[in-house]
Parts: sequence; structure tokens; C-alpha cells
Amino acid sequence: MGWLLPWFVEPTSSGIGFSPQDAVLSAPMGPGAFLLYVLAVTMLLLVLSPLAEIAARITKRPLPLIADRVRLVAAVVGFVLTLVVWFLIRVLNEEPLFGPIDSHTVTDSAVWLTLYGYAIAALVYGARRWVVARGNVAFGAAAIPFGVLLPFMFHQAPDFLLWAASSLAIYMLLALGLNVVVGFAGLLDLGYAAFFAIGAYACASFASPTHHIHLSLWLLIFIGAGVASVFGAILGAPTLRLRGDYLAIVTLGFGEIIPDLATNNVFGLTGGPNGLSSIDQPRYGPVNFGTNPQWFYWSVLAISVIVVIFLRNIERSRVGRAWVALREDEIAAAATGINTTTTKLLAFAMGASVAGVAGAFYGSLVTIVSPDDFSFAVSVAVISMIVLGGIGNIVGVILGSSVLTLSIFWILPHMNEWSMTVSAPGKPLEFLPGLATVNFTQYTYMVYGIALILMMLFRPGGLLPSRARRVELEAGIESESLAAVQGRA
Amino acid sequence: MSEETGPQGTGGGHEVSAATLAHGVLVVPAGLAPRRVEAGGLAGRVLPPLRGLYRLAARNFPLLLLGAIVLSLLGVFLGWGRSAGGTVLLGEQIRNALVLGAIYALIAIGYTMVYGIIELINFAHGDVFTLSGFYAFLIAGWFGLGGLATGSLGGLLLALLILFPLTMAASGLTGMAIERVAYRRLRDAPRVAPLITAVGVSFLLEGFMLVKFGPDNVTTHNASWISGQAFNVGGVSVGVKDIFIVGTAIVLMFALGAFVRGTRAGKAMRSTAQDRQAALLCGININRTISVTFFIGSALAAAAAIIYTINYGVIQWSLGFRFGIIAFTAAVLGGIGNIVGAGIGGFLIGMIYVFGGSLAGGEWSEALIFAVLVLILTFRPVGLFGIDVATRA
Repeated sequence: MGWLLPWFVEPTSSGIGFSPQDAVLSAPMGPGAFLLYVLAVTMLLLVLSPLAEIAARITKRPLPLIADRVRLVAAVVGFVLTLVVWFLIRVLNEEPLFGPIDSHTVTDSAVWLTLYGYAIAALVYGARRWVVARGNVAFGAAAIPFGVLLPFMFHQAPDFLLWAASSLAIYMLLALGLNVVVGFAGLLDLGYAAFFAIGAYACASFASPTHHIHLSLWLLIFIGAGVASVFGAILGAPTLRLRGDYLAIVTLGFGEIIPDLATNNVFGLTGGPNGLSSIDQPRYGPVNFGTNPQWFYWSVLAISVIVVIFLRNIERSRVGRAWVALREDEIAAAATGINTTTTKLLAFAMGASVAGVAGAFYGSLVTIVSPDDFSFAVSVAVISMIVLGGIGNIVGVILGSSVLTLSIFWILPHMNEWSMTVSAPGKPLEFLPGLATVNFTQYTYMVYGIALILMMLFRPGGLLPSRARRVELEAGIESESLAAVQGRA
Repeated sequence: MSEETGPQGTGGGHEVSAATLAHGVLVVPAGLAPRRVEAGGLAGRVLPPLRGLYRLAARNFPLLLLGAIVLSLLGVFLGWGRSAGGTVLLGEQIRNALVLGAIYALIAIGYTMVYGIIELINFAHGDVFTLSGFYAFLIAGWFGLGGLATGSLGGLLLALLILFPLTMAASGLTGMAIERVAYRRLRDAPRVAPLITAVGVSFLLEGFMLVKFGPDNVTTHNASWISGQAFNVGGVSVGVKDIFIVGTAIVLMFALGAFVRGTRAGKAMRSTAQDRQAALLCGININRTISVTFFIGSALAAAAAIIYTINYGVIQWSLGFRFGIIAFTAAVLGGIGNIVGAGIGGFLIGMIYVFGGSLAGGEWSEALIFAVLVLILTFRPVGLFGIDVATRA
């Protein structure tokens, strides 16, 4: 349903939210209005259908089979009509219904997202059996076009491009890496930002005027990964004997020490509180990462895909199974011949190396790294993404990082504009003048906090729980209560 | 947990392993056997006598603390650590360390009580501390305590008598609410689950304070309440404020000790910490006992916040995060779960903070504390002295 949001929140040059009901009220009678009514009906149908599904589940009366067919038709019709409307506005410069639209608005993104929403609806309702049976493939089919096309959707908003899309990709990479440590091996790491910092500083040192070294970014991602993984193993070593919560606190301690070291300009390498600046950005003829930051986005996305393939394979390999065994019962794992030391260190090193890659890209993207970029908030953000999406499930982690970064970097900032627009005098919410002064981006911390609390309380497996974790959670409750009966808890 | 065992496996296997090992059922690979504290090595030879010493010290802790203060003051008076410039550096640092240590100790007790009773690192505790600072700020504003306190001595006492109980009660209720909402449901879940909600609560509180009170320092106006110099020892000026701060902390710790040792609720707390199931079988209301623990811990954090604002006069939304970790380090240093240990640990951390900062440079203080945290947790997770269950909470 997120794809509907832009219709309501995007302010246009006329100052009013671009909302269907306004359009309907001011619409002249005629073919244009008819288009809009049909569009509104399809939208309403698709938005309300999850409610119908919930109702059907509660009353235990399944929806008739024709329902899927109806919704498929609605999705296809909606898709086509959106294209038509967009064509009328953009190409023919007709503005039959919507009032003036100037090029500074991001209405195109609304169109893109609406098309995407309809396409997803068509996929779900047209091929439901396939979607249910092969969830991950279906997710890939839905997510990859979205991921690849994201910069085009927002081509009118460069700030979004730079921040939201690239942050999304980098945070996704971070979440994938932390998922190795937390999800696969079951070691709660609260200081993951430290490895991100190490990667970023390594990149900054080798590709900036600071030490007069200028290496290519493609070399740097390996350097970042290597340095970070060494640090991962070094910092992981003392924690080998620790239990879950103590381990979390020790990693948190490391996560605080590393930025402190950077702030204090340790060995004169880190540039102190100001950090290292003027980091190189790759440039290959027409492909200039500096002026077209979407290249960063696509590069990180490509790296993410490689990382995902790599991690999926490793998850199913001997090492991956050793991690799972370690997570379930360390003593039993050791008894079956798993070397717990190397297995744990490998998890730390592998998670850290992914963070190092993300750090190298981050440094190159923002061209300046300073200690404040790697605070505890970053670690918590990444953990929130994993917890939200589903600990241990790669697809869930991708979903969680997309949902959270989009809400933090895109929806919250847009809420600011939206609130100002709708509470202006003469606008629908003018009786709430305070709304305009609310700074929604301030709520970032609360969003992370609430996401963590709610997920842990009500859906500890995340939005898309991994199958193993789901079984484990159910079994875990059983054994816990058994322990309670026997007085061991 | 049955007894103090060394670090063991992670996560879910933990309960099972502890129980089976206690009965000697399971054959465990040598490398993984949980180490008892008494196990051989240097630690095994040196620590038992140390622990006896510790018991003695713990019993006479207030006396010892008093002795240490008197001794250090005497030392200052005799001129130890007088630097070339003639300023009495050491004495001033001891004073600062005691003031800082008093605040850390009060916060650390909250961590240690909660850990003692439900084995949860209450990550949100540092932010409860900050929130209490804002409570104190608001309460002082509503009741116009600023004018009252700066008028006369009687007015000051009255203002403090209003401020302390109200703030502590508000903070205590906040702590209870946090436990009720975020931790109670997860009491029997895997250990990491409530830790993650605790991080969530911490961020929620920080976000709330950021939105409500803004990103900058908030001046609390009560730094001027208590002023003046109590006495001057060998050039070190000790303010009334410093004495008030350390005194308040010590009085509160005494009160807590009396409560835990002397009342039914305290007894319930100790027995719940020792064995929750057995306590339940004895008819103790576990939920209420845990709520009371959270109330007391948060109330002490509120007292710490008030004396913090009285000393520094400002508070800021993100203060509690690092302050909380440092106080947690104090609790770990003294042996987590051990109230007296947390008190000692708080003052020790105050010393490390101030002296470490003066030796290595002030910007290294916090990194040093985090290093202490990592070292202690890695090599002696039971704290400096090691504890037995009976002295817990």
C-alpha cells in the first residue's frame, strides 16, 4: 500500500496535495473524469482487498475464486489507465484533471510507484499459487525491477537519489553483513558500525589527498573488506567465551571505542573530529560517479546481489550449517566436532568484511568520513532492519532494510512538506496549525525504537521469518516452559 | 542460575548446559567446560584470599569509604601530589572523582538490581536517567522551586524535599511501565530478545527526549541552588555542593541496603534473584517484586539525575547513552548483580575516569572506560571480586 502514498503526500506547485478526492471534486464531466473514476475504483479495490482477506480469515469463509480474477483485472486496468493518464499529462501536456503540474514536482515518482503497485498486484493475484509456492523467486521478481528502476523513478529529485537510494543500498549491504553474525551464527553484535567505520576510513586513507594515495574504488572495496575482516577477527577473539548478552555489551564497547579512536586522531591517521575529506570518486569517461550518484546506487546494488548469492551459498555450506549448530547449542556443536573458535571468528570476519565493502562505498559516496557517521545509532539502525525483516532470512533482511530506509530517508522528510501543505490556511487540515511545525525527521530514533519493540514483542521472527527460525521459536517456547517446570529456568 | 560459572555458550543452549553440568551428566569437551571461578591458574591462587578480604570490605563498606575519603583528604592536606605550579591537582581530582563516582554508583545500582533479578541488561536505564533529569527540570519549573531554593536555607531544604520524592516517584513509575510493556512478555523468551527490546526502549526514550526537548543542552537552572565552600583542605576547595552530592548518594545507598536487608519486600527481592521458581512456590508475587525492583532502580537513577543537574546545570537528550554504558561498566566492575559491588564500582569508575583522563588526556577517558568494560567482561565477567549468590540483590 506504500505505493499509494505519493498520491496523497506529494505537494504540487498549486500547493495542494495531489489527492484523488480533490481531483474528483474538481473534475469536469467527460472522458477524462471517467478515466479517473475507473482508476479510483481499481485503486480502492486493491487497497481494500487485504481487509477482505483478513475478514475472510477471521470468519473462516474463504473468498470466492472469482475474487482473484477480479483483482487481476483491476490491477491490469489500473496499470494501463495510469499509463494513459501519465501519457496525457507528460507527453501531450494536457492537464485535464489535475491542475498545473510543474517539472519540480515528483509526481512522476507517484506514477512510477503506482505502476509498480499495480504490477505487484497483478503478480500476486494473477499468479498466486506461484507466489506462495516459490516465495523467494517471487520476491526477487518483484524486488529486482524496483531496485534497478529506483533511480529513474526519482529522477526529478536528486537529493533523494543521493541520500535515499544510496543509503538504501549501503544499509542493505550492512544488514546483509550483520545478518551473518546475528542471524546465521546467533552472536548479537551491537557494535557493527565499527567495521563500517574501519572500511570507510581505509577507503578514505587510500583514496584521498590525506596520504597522497589514490587507488581505484574497485581495489578499495577489497582493501576495505580485508582490513575490516582482520579487525572483525581481532575484535571477535576476546568475545569467544562470552554469553549472548555479555557478548552484546563487549561488541558495543568496541563499537564505541573505534569512533573514539578516530575522534582522537589515533596515530595521526584519522584526521580527528573532522575526519578525512576529499575522497576520490570514480570517473570513467561519461560515467561520472560524482555528478551521477545513481552509479553508486547501481554499483552497490550489483555488489549486494553478488553478496546475496555468496551468502546464500555459504549459508547452505558446511560453514553455514556449523553456524546454525553453534547458534542452537554450542556445546552440542563442539561435541560433534565443530571448531567453535574458527567458526565464530569466521562469522565475525565475514560480517565485518561486508561492512568494510559498504564502508568503502560510503566513503566514496559522501567524500568525507568523520567519527559521527559511525555512532551507535548506525548499529541500531542496522539491527532494526534485520529484526524488522526477519533475523537469519536474507530475503527478509532485504525487505526490512528497504522498508526502514525508505521510511527514514524518504517518507519522514516528505511528511515535513506534506504537513506544511495540508495545514496551511484554506487547506484540509488548517485546524491543526501545529502540524506544519512538526519536524518529522526528528522521529527517526523513535521509529527504530518502536520497530524493535513491536517486532520483538509481537512477531519475533520478523516480517518474513526464516523457516528454521520459525520452527526454532516455536520449539524454543516449548523447551523453555519445560525448563520452567523442572525449575531450571 | 545455579552458581557462578564462567562464561559459557551463547543463547539457547545456556540453561540446559548449566543444569546438566551441575549434575555432571553431560560429558563436555575440555575446551568448552564452563570454568568455575575457583579453577586453577593465577586467578585461582590469588583470588580466594582476596574474596575473603572483599567480604570483610563489603560488610564494612560505608566505613571503608569514609576511611578512604578521610585518608585522601589527609593526603591532600599533607601535600601529596602537589604539582610544580603549586595547585593541588591530586586533591581536586579526588574530589571530582568522588562526585562523579557518586552519580555513577547510583546509576550502576539500577543496572545491577535489574540484572540480579531478571538477568537482563536494562539498556534503557541510562535513558531513564536522562529522562529523570528532564522530569526534575519540569517539576522544578511547575512548582517554582528555583525561587524557593535560592531564597533561604529552609527554602532550599523544602525545595529539595519536594524535588527528590516527586522526581524519583515519576522516574520509578516510568521504570515500572517500561518493564510492564517491554520486558514482562519476554521474560521466558531467549535472552537476546529482551535485550533487543531494551535497545528499542532506549531509542524510543532518546527519540522522545529529542523531539520534546530539542537537540541542544537544556539549562536546568538548579546548578546555582547549592553554592559556597564547605572547607578548604590544603588548597583544595571542597564545596557544599560536593558534600551534598556524595552525602546524598551514600545516604540513599544506606537506605537501599536497609530496605533490601530489612524489609519483606527486600527479602522477596533477594529470594526472587536467587531462584525465581522457588520464590514463586513460596508464595512471593514475582511480578510485583520485579516491578518494585524496577521502581527502585529507576528512582535511584532519578536521584543521580538530580545531583547531576545540581552539579552541572545542564542536561541533554543523548547524555544517558554513554553515561549509561559507563555506569554499566561500574556495575560489571563490582560484579553484576551485586549491589554493594555496584556502589564500589561506581566510585572506582569515577576514579578511573578522572585519573585516566588526567594521565592520558581527557579525550581518552571514555575510550579507557570502554576498554575496562571489554577487559573485565572478557577476562573476569564476574567482576573484580567474584560473587556468590547470597550477596546478590
